[in-house]
Amino acid sequence: MTEIWNDWLTHHDQLLGGLWVSLRLAFMALLLGLPAGLVLAVGASSRRRVLRGFIVVVIEIGRGTPALVMLQVVYNGIPVTLTGFVCAYIALALTTAAYTSEIIRGGLQSVPGGEIEAGRALGMSSFDVLRDIVIPQGLRIAIPPLMGFCILMFQATSLAFIIAVPELTSQARSIANNTFHYLNLFVIAGVLYAIVTVSASLVTEQVEKKLQRHV
Amino acid sequence: MTTSPALPHDAIVLQNVEKQFGDHVVLNNVSMSVSSGEVVALIGPSGAGKSTLLRCINLLERPTSGSITVEGVTIQVDHSIKAKELAALRSRVGMVFQSFNLFPHLTVLRNISLPQQRVLGRSQAEAEERAMTLLERVGLADKAKQYPGRCSGGQQQRIAIARALALDPKVMLFDEPTSALDPELGLEVLAVMRELADEGMTMVVVTHEMQFARDVSDHVVVMSDGAILEEGKPHEIFASPSQPRTRAFLRAVLDRQ
Ligand SMILES: Nc1ncnc2c1ncn2[C@@H]1O[C@H](COP(=O)(O)OP(=O)(O)O)[C@@H](O)[C@H]1O
Ligand SMILES: [Mg+2]
Repeated sequence: MTEIWNDWLTHHDQLLGGLWVSLRLAFMALLLGLPAGLVLAVGASSRRRVLRGFIVVVIEIGRGTPALVMLQVVYNGIPVTLTGFVCAYIALALTTAAYTSEIIRGGLQSVPGGEIEAGRALGMSSFDVLRDIVIPQGLRIAIPPLMGFCILMFQATSLAFIIAVPELTSQARSIANNTFHYLNLFVIAGVLYAIVTVSASLVTEQVEKKLQRHV
Repeated sequence: MTTSPALPHDAIVLQNVEKQFGDHVVLNNVSMSVSSGEVVALIGPSGAGKSTLLRCINLLERPTSGSITVEGVTIQVDHSIKAKELAALRSRVGMVFQSFNLFPHLTVLRNISLPQQRVLGRSQAEAEERAMTLLERVGLADKAKQYPGRCSGGQQQRIAIARALALDPKVMLFDEPTSALDPELGLEVLAVMRELADEGMTMVVVTHEMQFARDVSDHVVVMSDGAILEEGKPHEIFASPSQPRTRAFLRAVLDRQ
C-alpha cells in the first residue's frame, strides 16, 4: 500500500496530466460523435431506400470495427499528418457515431406513430415533424443509454495508447517502463478511471430518476 | 354577380376513390360529396373502410386512384403530388383521431400554437393568442400551462379539436372521437362537436354514437365492405333503412347501447 502511495506522490503530476488528456479526448469524441450519431439515426430511419441502405452499411462497418482497429486505421490511413490526439479524436468519434446512432434510432422509433400522423395531418412538413415531435421525444428516451455509452467511451480512450496519445494509460505505462512498478501504476490508473466512471454513473442515475418523474 | 360565400357549395368531392393495400381492396370506387356547412355521419361495421376513406380526404392515405376535391382544389391521386399542394390541402382540413395524439412533451398551449407557427407562419404571440381563444371555447383555458398527460381523455380530445381548429380549417374530419372515452367524458367532446356543427363547420364524423348521428348530422352515409351501402337523411336511414345490411348493423349497434 505505502509503495503505491509513494508512486502516486512521485508521479501524480504526470498521471493527472494523462487523466486530463483522457477526459479531453472523450469529451471531443462525444462532441463530434453524438451529433453525427443523430444524423446517422435519422438517415437510417429515412423512407428513401438507397439512402437508408447506405447509412445502415456505414453504421454496421462502424460498429463492426473494434475501436483499437479504428484508431490505427485513422492514424495510418489519413494522408495528411495529424497529431495522435487528433487521430484518436476522429477514430473515437466515428465509433461513437456508429454506436450511438443505434441507441438514438431506438429512441426515435419509440415515438408513437399516431403523433407523427397528427403532425402530418396538421400540415407540418416531414422536417418539422422530425424536429418538433420525433427528435425531442426520441432523444429523451435515449438519454440514459447514451450516458452509459459516454462512460464506455471514456474508458475506451485508454486504447489511444496504441498511437502514442499521452492519455492516462499511456502515462502509467511509460512511468512503469522506467520504474518497473507495473502493478502499482495500473492500480493507480484504475482508481482514477473508477473515480470518473463511478461519479458519472451516479449522475446518470439521478438523470434517469428525473426523466421518469416527468413522463 | 358575386357569389356570397354563405351560399352552400361542395366542400368535399370524392370521385371514384379506390384504395388497395397490396391486393386487398379496401375502398371500391367510392364517390361522395359534402356541402359546405353540412355534417355527415359515416357509419358502418368495423373494417368497412370508414377510417381509410376519412384518411384519404387529407391524403394521410393515398388512394390508388380517383380524385379528391376540397374547397375547389382538386388533387388527382395518380399524378405526382407536390409537398406544397399536400400542405395546402392539409391546412384546409382538420382531423381528430380516436387516440387524441397530442404531443406529450409540449404544454397544452404549445400543442396548439406550434402547428400554427410552422404551418401558417404565425408569430408566437399571434399563435398563442389564437390558442387561448380556442382553449376558452372548449372550456380548458385553465389547462394552458399543463402537459397533456395531466388531462383527462375528454379534455385531451377537446384540446385536439382546438389544435385542429387553430389552423382555421374549412372542413373537420373526426375518426371515432369518443370511442376511447368513458361515456360521460365522451359527452363533453360531443358537446363541443355539436357547437361546432351549429356554427356551420363542415364536418365528416365516423362514429358509433347513433344518438349524435341522428340529432346532429344532416346526412348519414352507411359503409360496408369498402363501398357506400346507402345514404340519406338521418330520419330516413334510422327509421326505414332500405338495405337489410344497414338494418342488421343498426340493430347490432343499438342493442349494444
Ligand atoms: N395500413 C393498412 N394496411 C393494410 N390493411 C389496412 C390498413 N389500414 C386498414 N386496412 C384494412 O382495411 C380495411 C378497412 O379498415 P378501416 O378503414 O380501418 O375500417 P373501419 O374504420 O371502417 O373499421 C380493414 O380490412 C383493414 O384491415
Ligand atoms: Mg376505423
